[in-house]
Amino acid sequence: MSSTPIPNGSAEAPLQLSTLPPVVGINFGNSYASIAVFTKEGLAECIANEDGERQIACAVAFHGEEMYIGNQAKQQLVKNAKNTITGFRNLLGKKFSEIPQSENTTSAPVIQHPDQPDTPAYKVQVLQPAPTPLPTSAFTTPAASHAPTPRSEPVLVDRILTVSEVASIFLKSLVQSASDFLGKPIQGAVISVPPTFTPTQKSALEQAATDAGVTVLQLLDEVSAAAATTTTPIWGLEPDRTQLVVDFGSSSVSLAILSIREGLAYVLGQSSTPTIGANQIDDKLIKFFAADFTKKTKIPLNVCPAKDVTDQRAEAKLRLAIEHTKRTISASPGAATCSVESLKDGMDYTGSINRMRFDMLGSPIYATVASEISSLLSTTGLDAHDVDEVVYVGGTGCLPGLDDRLGIEVGLREAVETPFARGTVVGGGLGDPTTIIARGCAIQAALINGLGSDGEEGELRQALTGVGAEVKATTRTLGLLFPNGLEENKELGGTWVPIVQKETALPVRRVVSFEVGLSEQSKRIAFEVWEVKEGIRIEKVAPPKSSDPEDADDDDDEPEEEEVKHRTLAKERLLAVVDTQAKLAIQTKGKGRDAGKWFTHVQVQFVVDIEGALDVELKEVGEGGVVEKLRVSSL
Amino acid sequence: MQVQVLSITTPPVPASYKSPNVPSGSRISDPHPSGHRTLLPVGPAYLTHLRLSLHHKHSFSSLDKHLAAERERLAALHGDDTNGEDDLGVGDEEETQELLSLDPKEWKKQDHYAVLGLSHLRYKATAAQIKIAHRKKVLKHHPDKKAGSTSTSTAHNSLYLAGVNQNTNDDAFFKCIQKAHEVLTNPEKRRQFDSVDPVFLDFEEDMPNATEFKNKNLDFFKTLTPAFELYARFSKKQPVPGLGHIDSTKEEVEGFYDFWYNFDSWRSFEWLDKEINEGSDSRDDKRYTEKKNKSERARRKKEDIAKLRNLVDMTLSFDPRIKRIKQQEKEAREAKKRGVTPGAPAKKTKQQEEEEKKKAELEAKQKEEAEQAARAEAKKQKTAAANAAKKARRQQRAAEEAAAGT
Repeated sequence: MSSTPIPNGSAEAPLQLSTLPPVVGINFGNSYASIAVFTKEGLAECIANEDGERQIACAVAFHGEEMYIGNQAKQQLVKNAKNTITGFRNLLGKKFSEIPQSENTTSAPVIQHPDQPDTPAYKVQVLQPAPTPLPTSAFTTPAASHAPTPRSEPVLVDRILTVSEVASIFLKSLVQSASDFLGKPIQGAVISVPPTFTPTQKSALEQAATDAGVTVLQLLDEVSAAAATTTTPIWGLEPDRTQLVVDFGSSSVSLAILSIREGLAYVLGQSSTPTIGANQIDDKLIKFFAADFTKKTKIPLNVCPAKDVTDQRAEAKLRLAIEHTKRTISASPGAATCSVESLKDGMDYTGSINRMRFDMLGSPIYATVASEISSLLSTTGLDAHDVDEVVYVGGTGCLPGLDDRLGIEVGLREAVETPFARGTVVGGGLGDPTTIIARGCAIQAALINGLGSDGEEGELRQALTGVGAEVKATTRTLGLLFPNGLEENKELGGTWVPIVQKETALPVRRVVSFEVGLSEQSKRIAFEVWEVKEGIRIEKVAPPKSSDPEDADDDDDEPEEEEVKHRTLAKERLLAVVDTQAKLAIQTKGKGRDAGKWFTHVQVQFVVDIEGALDVELKEVGEGGVVEKLRVSSL
Repeated sequence: MQVQVLSITTPPVPASYKSPNVPSGSRISDPHPSGHRTLLPVGPAYLTHLRLSLHHKHSFSSLDKHLAAERERLAALHGDDTNGEDDLGVGDEEETQELLSLDPKEWKKQDHYAVLGLSHLRYKATAAQIKIAHRKKVLKHHPDKKAGSTSTSTAHNSLYLAGVNQNTNDDAFFKCIQKAHEVLTNPEKRRQFDSVDPVFLDFEEDMPNATEFKNKNLDFFKTLTPAFELYARFSKKQPVPGLGHIDSTKEEVEGFYDFWYNFDSWRSFEWLDKEINEGSDSRDDKRYTEKKNKSERARRKKEDIAKLRNLVDMTLSFDPRIKRIKQQEKEAREAKKRGVTPGAPAKKTKQQEEEEKKKAELEAKQKEEAEQAARAEAKKQKTAAANAAKKARRQQRAAEEAAAGT
């Protein structure tokens, strides 16, 4: 130890305050947006804005001199609807003539811009702040002037805002929230776009973001953003799976079937239905509560559509109130209440809805979604049984009735992985449908941010932010077959270890490690490399007879046979055989069931190159282990 | 390179299995052509794919090389990033899930070295190393560091609920760290713990015994050298002589056995004492437990000494050098008997033997010659005798004839 004391710290601030990437992921929906950044735990997390909202309503309202953004703006829909702008994202990049002129009276109407041709715009009334009073002269006498004395109160003026300007204002506030959270300026953002966005709309969004002072790293479509989240290791599922993404938006439902292979994902089938959405569930819910209100107070209330002004206001009030109701019913198993003060004619309303009734209301919409999924599966050539995982995106995906309903109606496997089955929805968990896209955008933003801008890295960066690469993909599953005569392996005559799944992008390298059991005498490792065909076997099983005699009396008809599906494998082609001797066999110690049995650790590597040639390498883990290599060429 | 670890054990191949012939020209099914699928441009895996296709011509080996070079470059760049502080080789050990979920109440059973990340050093760790290791762990696991956040190291489970601090038992591992530090920095407690070091106990169980040694035909030096090295730690006298090698001199071998037969061990077994029930007021109770503990300690110590003694006995009985030394001694004794200086007996004897041989040969020759001569003499004598007899008979006959003729 040196004799001079080492200072225990210094007053100077450290050079680097934080190493968090200065980037933000933005989920820019039509009705709600959310932002995510990397937190100091090294995870992308959805953050709240200054109002404490993680789901930020896409609304901008003007009231007097004030401008409200987000959920505060949404509140303005009741009393100040004409100065409140909502639903502007979907209008980005569209011409005025392209926008259907619907009777959207709940918020500021879309009008033709007075100066720019064929441009949609909003007209809002704002109070312009009063001009600063004229400088008073040093003399006590007023300046001699013929001009009228300027008004000291703010003036009411009309302000014309283009859609792009509104989007700019909104995005700016989002980025501001993120930069406040991180404590440093945001240098880049990845923004999600729906799969239906046209290139014009995308460039309009990019322009709006640039106007807001945000560098757009990439516009990521929502499916890709969801995939970015679900392919991270902390998602914690098998690296190879077929995933169904259900994006339940307020105005449309987008479905996608993805093949995820160790982080690489591509779309097997995709569909988007603009006719169904959560708005319909909202309408039903509003109608339900309105009917309940009428029943309780004998005051007629006609909503969806509302004709009367008082009815319209009541509907707006209900629409705000049911947001809370929906969140409550998603989060808790019990009933959810809906309370509105002075709903109509000065009468307050408090009502509740239980989960069963709620499911009943949603059921026609759920059924439509289910049939959409079924039709997408059939056009993709997949069976419902092939789906390994369902991922929900969007706030409506939180509704628990949806998951059960889809599972039954589409005929998904019992063991299908859903965020509900894994319990990761509640409490802002990993599978929370409202944050998946924003988090995916943040992950992608950090990835892009980590790349340099020139040379090889620059090329990569450009390729990464561009459109996805076109690839070749395998058609059949490759794997190892360890021959044995066990009863459970009768189908293939051995233990099957799949290595490269079908629909894997080429080139691919897979390394798996496992233990190989050895017989005591020979220490022989032998396996075959097979290509297999996967299928579905449908078995008809009679349901167990009900023992209750009364029950049997009730329904006389024959008990229907239930269809039970099994995944099957059929050997297609034998590609190679490995037969060798283990050199590092180990005997299991202890007194367990497997004591005294011999085994060895092996690592098997499969490389399928771009031409379809397969390299298999068997390696015993450890020094001096046996190594076997063989190649199945493509020609 | 990502390795997917499957938790399966395939059953052994039946002896009757014969590997089938692979049909010639067998290859995998044609892949979907390019353009059939478009990857979603997200994630690190896609970046790897881009690297492969843009810069490495789809070759994994080329990519591996590139990435390794890149890593080296970065390591060189950040090499002096440790603020120039030397951690004395403490390093960073991986913290397994098992380790992190230790119960501080069971501190007596925990592996203190593993808790501080010193399992590669164990009893060899110096006080300075223990201090550094403790500081490192505290920086990582102090409850203040974890407040209000889920730590990245506490399992994936907690990550599912990002932002929710579900780990209510957050400072459990920190308590374990403090306990480990307390034990390892107190020389007496550390000595007690080292005496019953769980890793050492495992080794001790694997120690070969005499029958095994005989049956399995184990290599003498390879098996026993590490065994003695293990026990060496307990010696009050350091350094400890090792087992040596096959050509060790007599002095070395004798020194070795001398040392190990008089092995002075600091090993003790207080660590395994039963807790004295502090709550109980009964002095008898306490005394009883104390007494028991004491006898137990003594028993264990005795066992330990006996075990070591057995090991040394066994070593002695199998030692190939002992045989050699005995043989040499015997020869030396014999040589002494013959009056040859015992200094360098081997060469001399050879010469002597040769001389003796020569001598013997010479003698034999002489003897033979003498015998031959003797035989010849005897023959002569015999013939002479016969001649004499004949002569005598002839004279007699002549005398008889003369007598008759007269």
